[in-house]
Amino acid sequence: MTVRMDSDAQHIEVHKFYGGTVAVVCFLALVIQAFLNKYSTHFQLLELPLLVVVYFGLSRRNSTSGLFLGTAVGLLQDGISHTPIGLYGIAKGFIGYIASSVGARLDTEHPISRFILMFLFFHIHQVVLAITIHLLLAQPEAFFSLHLLIASLVNSAVAVFLFAGLDRLRR
Amino acid sequence: MDIPSRNRPLVLLVAVILAQVLLLAFQIKRGQDVRLIRVWSAELLAPPQRAGTFVISKIDSTWFGYIDLRHARAENRQLAAEVGLLQLKNQQLEGQAAEASRLAKLLGFRQANSNVPTVAAEVIGASADSNSQTIFINRGASDGLRRNMAVVTPDGVVGKIFEVLPHMAQVLLITDKESGVGALLANTRTHGVVKGTGGPLLWMDYVTAGEKVPVGEEILTSGEDKIFPKDLPVGTVVSTKPGTPIQTIKVNPAAHLDRLEEVLVLLTEQSLKTKESDAAVGSAAPEKKSPSSKAQGSAAKAPHVAGVAKNAAGVSKNAAPAGNRAKTPAKTPAPPVKKPAAVAKPGGTNPAGTRQ
Repeated sequence: MTVRMDSDAQHIEVHKFYGGTVAVVCFLALVIQAFLNKYSTHFQLLELPLLVVVYFGLSRRNSTSGLFLGTAVGLLQDGISHTPIGLYGIAKGFIGYIASSVGARLDTEHPISRFILMFLFFHIHQVVLAITIHLLLAQPEAFFSLHLLIASLVNSAVAVFLFAGLDRLRR
Repeated sequence: MDIPSRNRPLVLLVAVILAQVLLLAFQIKRGQDVRLIRVWSAELLAPPQRAGTFVISKIDSTWFGYIDLRHARAENRQLAAEVGLLQLKNQQLEGQAAEASRLAKLLGFRQANSNVPTVAAEVIGASADSNSQTIFINRGASDGLRRNMAVVTPDGVVGKIFEVLPHMAQVLLITDKESGVGALLANTRTHGVVKGTGGPLLWMDYVTAGEKVPVGEEILTSGEDKIFPKDLPVGTVVSTKPGTPIQTIKVNPAAHLDRLEEVLVLLTEQSLKTKESDAAVGSAAPEKKSPSSKAQGSAAKAPHVAGVAKNAAGVSKNAAPAGNRAKTPAKTPAPPVKKPAAVAKPGGTNPAGTRQ
């Protein structure tokens, strides 16, 4: 179900999901990410939690909920990772906020725009992560690398299909 | 604070990120295993703390350095008065300590010479005449003092009793021109007579030119004058001047004659000799009971010491030692009371000019 509302003299489409869908999807994203990484290092290219945060941010188009969702997912990811609690929370909270803000202004339904947006969000996420690691942990972290480029392309490609699948969960 | 609804998400973003940064700071440890939140807290709080400390210290120093000094002047005056009082008290204590030290030395001397009866006396005055070197002590005839008794300090010879009053006595110092002490050089045992010069130094007479007298050599009493016991310090040689046949030897007194305060009067030396003399001479000179006549009696019995014995009446200016006596001319005519000395003249000695 799509709800149109006026905001800044512009019609914004806000998508609603069945109850518990957001929480279940985010939880599954974290579980699957951890599950896949257990069996192959190749799956480390994937960032499923980031993909769901971007998707729900773009879909719900509420920066506050996007911020909290991103932060919650990020903190959970920190919880099951070996990173200080808050590292991914900051990055994903920021991405959730931006995605919600962007979703209110751009067409986020087209596969190409989703691919490009995911590509950009992936690198923004990495930049925020690297800045946080630089500033707080005082450790080196690449802002950009070939590996990251490949990872961003993979995630963008996955996002196109994943987002289409998640669209089915909309009310 | 009223935040416009349009900016609320942004403020929320900042708040959430800040909260997580703080959360990270609680977990992350930097060098020295210190949590980042502690580092930040310290760095955040240090500048205002420094500034506060600086301001407080300035206020403190201004208050205590200027404003709170209202009573400083009065307090300073009071403290200065207290310091003066304490200095005075300190001087008194130092004086008492010095006196105690001197008395301890006297006591030590008395104990070391316990066979010689002594009387401790305090110096109560000095001569009004600058030409005579005498002092007054607070002991007199009532304390058993007699003329010609030796007066010493633990440092050395002081002089002899010159006049005896009931409760005080006058002491002729060895630095007086009329004084003389039978003495010998400590190392070579060469005999001579140490005489006063009227000044602070003494000079030793009757030491022949051939004798080698090093500067600094100690001079002791020889005991030949029958006043001072043997081997009491008289002084040290400060200079020698060759002469023919007698060399001139200047001597620094061993006793600190310029700052005498307590002295010891030897009571027995004279008395013992007197008894011996009495026994030896018998009634040879019954009319003379003076120390000089008694000593003379002794001299008559033992001619080889006659030259000394005839001067036993006191510290003899011309008390020539036996070895040098024959060469020594008489400098001072013998006073009338020295009749016994004249008797001893045939014994081959020079006349003794003994001051009486």
